[in-house]
Amino acid sequence: MSNWLAQAITEAEQVNDWLSPKRESSLALLKKSPWPNRQTEAWKYTPINVIERTKFEPANDTFHHTSDIPNLNAIDLVFFNGIFDAQASTSALPAGLSISALADGASQTWALESFNKIKPKRHFFGLINDALATQGCIIDVACGAVIEQPIRIAQGFSSGSQSHTRVLMRLGESAKAVVVEQLQGDALCLNTSFAEYQIADKAHLEHYRLAMQSGEAISIGGCHFHLGEASQLESNLIGFGSQLSRVDMDIIHSGEHSNAKLNVIYLLDGKELFDLHSAIEHTKPNGVSEQNVRCIVADRANAIFNGRIHIHRDAQKILAQMNNRNLLLSENAQINTKPELEIYADDVRCAHGATIAQIDEEAMFYLQSRGISRVDAQVLLSFGFINELVDLMNNSAIADWLRPILRQRFANMEIQ
Amino acid sequence: MTDQLDEALAREYEAGFVSDVESRTFDPGLDESVIQRISAMKEEPQWMLDWRLKAFAIWKKMPEPDWAHIHYDKIDFESISYYSAPKSMDERPKSLDEVDPELLRTYEKLGIPLIEQQQLAGIAVDVVFDSVSVVTTFREQLKEQGVIFCPISDAIKEHPELVKKYLGSVVSQKDNFFAALNCAVFTDGSFVYIPKGTRCPMELSTYFRINELNTGQFERTLIIADEGSHVSYLEGCTAPQRDENQLHAAVVELVCLDNAEIKYSTVQNWYPGDENGKGGIYNFVTKRGICHDSAKISWTQVETGSAVTWKYPSCILKGDNSIGEFYSVALTRGAQQADTGTKMIHLGKNTRSTIISKGISAGKSNNSYRGLVHMGKGSSGARNFTQCDSLLIGDKCGAHTFPYVESRNPTAIVEHEATTSKVSDDQMFLCRQRGLDPEKAVSMIVNGFCKEVFKELPMEFAVEAGKLLEISLEGSVG
Amino acid sequence: MLKINDLHASIADNDIIKGLTLSVKAGEVHAIMGPNGAGKSTFGYALTGRDNYEITQGSATLDGQDLLDLEVEERAAAGLFLAFQYPVEIPGVSNMEFLKVSVDAQRSGRNLAALSSSDFLKRAKSACKQVNLPLSFLKRGVNEGFSGGEKKRNEIMQMILLEPKLSILDESDSGLDIDALKVVADGINSQRDGKRSYIVITHYQRLLDYIKPDFVHVLADGKIVKSGGPELALELESEGYSWLESYDRNAQEENV
Repeated sequence: MSNWLAQAITEAEQVNDWLSPKRESSLALLKKSPWPNRQTEAWKYTPINVIERTKFEPANDTFHHTSDIPNLNAIDLVFFNGIFDAQASTSALPAGLSISALADGASQTWALESFNKIKPKRHFFGLINDALATQGCIIDVACGAVIEQPIRIAQGFSSGSQSHTRVLMRLGESAKAVVVEQLQGDALCLNTSFAEYQIADKAHLEHYRLAMQSGEAISIGGCHFHLGEASQLESNLIGFGSQLSRVDMDIIHSGEHSNAKLNVIYLLDGKELFDLHSAIEHTKPNGVSEQNVRCIVADRANAIFNGRIHIHRDAQKILAQMNNRNLLLSENAQINTKPELEIYADDVRCAHGATIAQIDEEAMFYLQSRGISRVDAQVLLSFGFINELVDLMNNSAIADWLRPILRQRFANMEIQ
Repeated sequence: MTDQLDEALAREYEAGFVSDVESRTFDPGLDESVIQRISAMKEEPQWMLDWRLKAFAIWKKMPEPDWAHIHYDKIDFESISYYSAPKSMDERPKSLDEVDPELLRTYEKLGIPLIEQQQLAGIAVDVVFDSVSVVTTFREQLKEQGVIFCPISDAIKEHPELVKKYLGSVVSQKDNFFAALNCAVFTDGSFVYIPKGTRCPMELSTYFRINELNTGQFERTLIIADEGSHVSYLEGCTAPQRDENQLHAAVVELVCLDNAEIKYSTVQNWYPGDENGKGGIYNFVTKRGICHDSAKISWTQVETGSAVTWKYPSCILKGDNSIGEFYSVALTRGAQQADTGTKMIHLGKNTRSTIISKGISAGKSNNSYRGLVHMGKGSSGARNFTQCDSLLIGDKCGAHTFPYVESRNPTAIVEHEATTSKVSDDQMFLCRQRGLDPEKAVSMIVNGFCKEVFKELPMEFAVEAGKLLEISLEGSVG
Repeated sequence: MLKINDLHASIADNDIIKGLTLSVKAGEVHAIMGPNGAGKSTFGYALTGRDNYEITQGSATLDGQDLLDLEVEERAAAGLFLAFQYPVEIPGVSNMEFLKVSVDAQRSGRNLAALSSSDFLKRAKSACKQVNLPLSFLKRGVNEGFSGGEKKRNEIMQMILLEPKLSILDESDSGLDIDALKVVADGINSQRDGKRSYIVITHYQRLLDYIKPDFVHVLADGKIVKSGGPELALELESEGYSWLESYDRNAQEENV
């Protein structure tokens, strides 16, 4: 067993809070689970021995704050190194919305019930988070409530920190909300950040995960959604790579006529790695899901995507699509993609496509013929390639904030 | 409709008879002495025995793979007999006249007459019955052109320089669990060598038949196409209908030197077991070819049989400008399980590969495409196009796609597409409105679905494949 | 202004342009007509420097500057503009952004000060109006989901903004109805100021009713086989291109 894991288990055994009854089974499973390696299918392309190698020694440097998103006008929930900062967070909440820190959640019986109910057991670091996440937040939106202000969960990290946070959200029937999970920081640190979203019948969640930790950061997390009848999910994931960045997304359609969209952008440079595993589970008929995953990889970076569509027996009349497009810009970069279909119902329409290519030469010539240099044209086209998905974002404050950041990041990329 | 479907899907397996042939069969079990006996039966030189024993040592340390999307009772390797041959084969027949008439009748019943005069012109056949090659036709005529076509056990004795050089060069002893087992215990199979610049004057083919109860078939095929040569090779297989599962673990190696071309076609019709999954062949096969500069390997397979299929005919595109192709139709019904696909490993510049896979699932079966496209660092300008289509007939079956795509070169282009659909009511209505009965309609739609693959098959096989599908689908619509 | 001498161009070792000589003075409009496959589009691509269009022989200068040594974008900055027959769609890149970057790049290439955002916007809007494109088109992805006519008008709009010395219009009339054709022609005519020059590539005489050429050239098998005034276009219209075959035959006989 890995030393890091042994220590995590020891720590977990000390945890004693209102969620302890729920943590037990995960801890037991964790003790039985082998430390993942390259033979472990879910970690085939993502080495995690860096966790073993690294000594996490909290430095006394200043906290890294997440950057502000202008015009977002959000309800802020602020965390530094995984610890909730009530002072920096918004206290006045609109009607229909209640939020509490995870540590203060004992009175919320629904939260105890739904903890670990949506997130599948197969995620190794999810088990670690189950056992160790004592910080986080519980968000409850009343039936029919429409919360106009986005709820922003901002997490900043400083060097040497290790943290484990958990978000539990319940969106009542016909309720509507926007959640922005923002993770930022480039210091060497390790965090696991998992979120479980219970979306009731006819409810609507607009979700953003801005997984923008970079540099030496080790960031592992997941977003897990449970969709009720006729509910809707629009999820957006922005991934910057880091020493090790991994996100698992599970979208579980548990009611008929549910509709989910997942748009993902990743932009990797240097020696960064970003690994997304997404699983769309259609367990009931008449669902719709659409995934667009676009990825640009430069320098020596490694992009991994494993997208799975699983249509269960008798989940008829499903429309499921997955589109994965990749731009590989450098000789030492790599892309590993695996778009899977697993289908047990016949009256469904499913399609997936994956391409790996360079920038279209025809478009390149068109731009050059207008006087734009090859380098600039490459930036413009690559940016356009991802901007298509930014354009689809409902929240213009986030889109407007993201564009220059993405453009800047792209302009700094190491292209052969 | 589903109930009727299930009922109707239980079709006759035409090749399910047992031949009454007296055989010499090893007792079940596997240890070094069994391998020594196989080697002795084949009068093999010491180097061959050493090679087998080395493979056996490797195999013993390997775990059985469990990553495929298939479920089957654990194979008891101690309960399998690793060698069985008709007693009449103790002395190798020198001509067809000396071959046991029961064996000749067997092949006649299977539609493969061995008398050269009765055969389709232009097809030479090597027939393998359990663990031995019974006869290889047109061997002499081919020899005149320098083409070697013989059982691999003969090649080991007669052409040791070629066998030593190439055996295990594409699929090594430690390649995978089933390949390692094959390396240790293979009994017969075909050997082909096409000399430089030669276009093989006829189609070569091997017909595999498992007859004896409780025996495994472990054949090994090695095809070497020397520079600038061309060969088309066909493979067919059947087995009797039995309640017990039988293991078939073959290895096929193709060596395609500069500018050569090998076209390898398979119609796999092993006994699939009954509709409840009782009996049938476990088909764990490793097929791989290596392409040198500007060489081309084309795999075409029509898979309708076996209880379990685990098979990934692959191409290592080592040479610049080399080409790999994989065309596959896999039909599963009853309780069949197939996990099949290909690997295209692009190493050389401007290498190209095409993958067209058509999976048809009916009954309670599960049909998976599993593939790998790898663009290596040196694969500048390489291209791959993959299309995987699945067709589901009925709501109790499953169709799955597991494609791995890896790219390490920015100038390589990979395109992968996959779709899943069913025979639509609109299509059925149109066909029936035009006067076709539902069975004909389904068969026609399925044939259309598979057309891109069938057109890659040699003519005789295309007809056979079409018929096979038709029989397989008989009564698939209520 | 533009001097092309004995230009030869090939694609993948197939010779397409086989010795084309053409001289265009400031303010002139030249029409290049010819049958399909004559090499009309190749001429435009080769001159603007598209990849895989290899110049194997000859020269081309714009105001004395050797074009053939320049990169695609440098030729554009030198004042060369190609209106594409099939404009390329670039989803995700807005028309506005694309135009701004193009204008900035070209102005810097010509040592002109960059336009302020408001100046640029003013010009872009006016160009849009001139070709009858709704302003909303500035925000849409480049040519994304545009109709055939809208794409052609978008090309002319770019031409107006970029102010090239010499514009090559590659079948800017194809696929247009009369009204759209007039819009395109008006856009071009509005730019005719005695200094700017145009090469209008077209299969039909129709466009030349609206854009009066000073010279008409017939391109066949990679060479200009006949040149004349506007009347040549009318002649072609009535007689078609079949006479070219006999012309070829005569030429061959003469060579013998």
